[in-house]
Amino acid sequence: MQTEASVAQPDVSELELVKQCQRGDSAAFDELVVRYRTRVFGMIYNMVHNEQDAWDLAQDSFVKAWKSIDRFRGKSSFYTWLYRIVMNVTIDWLRKKQVKGGGTEFDDNVQLREIDPASKTVPRSEPLPHQRMERGEVRARIDQAIAQLSPEHRAVILMKETEDMQYHEIAEALGCSIGTVMSRLFYARKKLQNLLRDVYENV
Amino acid sequence: MKTFEEKWTAWIDDQLTGRELEEFLASLPDRSAAEAEKQSAKQVGSLLREQAMALSNADFFSHQLRERLDRENAPMRSEADAIQTGWWTIRRLLWGGITSLAVFAICTVVVFREKTPSSRSQYLTQILGAQVDPTVSPNATISMFEKKDDHVTVLWVDGLQSLPPEYAAK
Repeated sequence: MQTEASVAQPDVSELELVKQCQRGDSAAFDELVVRYRTRVFGMIYNMVHNEQDAWDLAQDSFVKAWKSIDRFRGKSSFYTWLYRIVMNVTIDWLRKKQVKGGGTEFDDNVQLREIDPASKTVPRSEPLPHQRMERGEVRARIDQAIAQLSPEHRAVILMKETEDMQYHEIAEALGCSIGTVMSRLFYARKKLQNLLRDVYENV
Repeated sequence: MKTFEEKWTAWIDDQLTGRELEEFLASLPDRSAAEAEKQSAKQVGSLLREQAMALSNADFFSHQLRERLDRENAPMRSEADAIQTGWWTIRRLLWGGITSLAVFAICTVVVFREKTPSSRSQYLTQILGAQVDPTVSPNATISMFEKKDDHVTVLWVDGLQSLPPEYAAK
């Protein structure tokens, strides 16, 4: 996994930094933050689609990581452990927001009924011309599409596609089985293929 | 036993190999449509990667986080300091008290010892400290009778062949 500071300080191992953090060295934690802040922020942004919320949630995640760093035993890699915290914080936030809003946006049953597992996605009949598709619009379309996934489906597709994490790492980060991860990936992909076909075919 | 969804996902991610892959491909009703789907899924993945949101003001992010951690750690630290200070005060008071008592006791003993007048005369001390030679005076006995209130001391010496040479009265 490529990180921001792995180039800057390649000689300091992640595990060593974690050990220093466990001894109360906040400078070592700063180093870990530098390594993962962009990825964590990007991941959360893709989940919540709001820069300020993503910023706050990323901060919350790192604070939580610092407070519970003593509980990290090194059974998994640090970033898997960190992503578990990030996902818990973000999914909890999304769930609370959903409860407050009273929406049914993340109703998985509705999604599963809407998608035939063996279906072939249908291309949009009137695709937007490539020239008119600016980056901001693409971003907006992606945000809209991801917003239609449940938090768990968002998490797996983003960890797989943008973080290039392995199934077992995603499973560890989300606290579920590998089969569940693969199943969620299947439905998340199908849904996004349906929603974004005109975008990726024209960009 | 993997479900269809699991096999499909593994195939999209090029994780199916060997016999498993052959069996899966053989089970597909329309191979070319499936390949198109696989391509489509990979395009979605590329699109998501290309549009990944960058963190602007990354340094400010770290700075803000550091401040927040300092702020949140501060109450915990001061509480711990307060507890430590409390214990230090109690221990200090305890040790202070014990030391004062010890000093007082030592001073009292010294003062009282100095103030107590010696009730023994120089002669008496010499007599009592004298060695009576048992070969010269085998039956010698020395007895002392003392009445401090009247400042009277009677020394009864019996059986001496001669007085010790140190005796001051000689």
